[in-house]
Amino acid sequence: MTAECELLAAPGGNAVVRSRWLGEIESDPRSELIFPAGIPGFENERRIIPVEIPSQRPLVYLQSVARPDICFAALPVFVIDPGFRLHLSEEECALLEWPESRDPVVGTDMLCLALLMSSGGAVRVNLNAPVVINLLNARGVQSIATDRATGYFRPGHFRLDPSGQWEPEC
Amino acid sequence: MLRRRVGEAIAISGDIEIEVMEISRTRVKLGVRAPQTISVSRRETVPIAAENRSASELLDKRELLDLEEMLRKVRRMASGTGGKIEAG
Repeated sequence: MTAECELLAAPGGNAVVRSRWLGEIESDPRSELIFPAGIPGFENERRIIPVEIPSQRPLVYLQSVARPDICFAALPVFVIDPGFRLHLSEEECALLEWPESRDPVVGTDMLCLALLMSSGGAVRVNLNAPVVINLLNARGVQSIATDRATGYFRPGHFRLDPSGQWEPEC
Repeated sequence: MLRRRVGEAIAISGDIEIEVMEISRTRVKLGVRAPQTISVSRRETVPIAAENRSASELLDKRELLDLEEMLRKVRRMASGTGGKIEAG
């Protein structure tokens, strides 16, 4: 960890997290999200802060605490697909410390965010791999739905078309 | 193909071991012992890791994407959100 990446103590007990894109963010440590397994490709990024800029709602930034250069932009899944349904595996439930016997309510128990990707100048998301945050304990995981888990085919990739509609990709 | 029982393992290249820890009706729990330099993950996470790397580069391409315009469109079309979250 370089000096630039350190989490700095700030007056009032808050910490300052540095972001390459968002600048210095004063953050209450209680708002920090813990991803016990990181997310695929970023397994070491276990401490994340969610940042919402009022003028950019409903966009949510997920900024790594440790690395200023790692920041994701995400949208709540229902913005993209109001019919979204969450399926958590046994392992995902364990990471979220959520009882497998109960179906979580998205928006109440869990926040589900789709990470935005760019492809050929267009914005894409994969709703079969949402970032899921247990709102009761701030633990997070990237849930990866397999065909076996969902039991039916569901197009995972959506692309934002020029009119602002999210279109499923074939 | 190799057949193994619970508690038995296979070795790969001498320094990687995969042990059958538990077998249930539909699942097998495997334990992997490997050098720290070896990445071990479920197969379905491999394409997701590539997508996540692409997602982490999105803000680099921000000037190409016009994020504000995207959000204007999204807000126009949005009928709800998956939950509210306060600023970090």
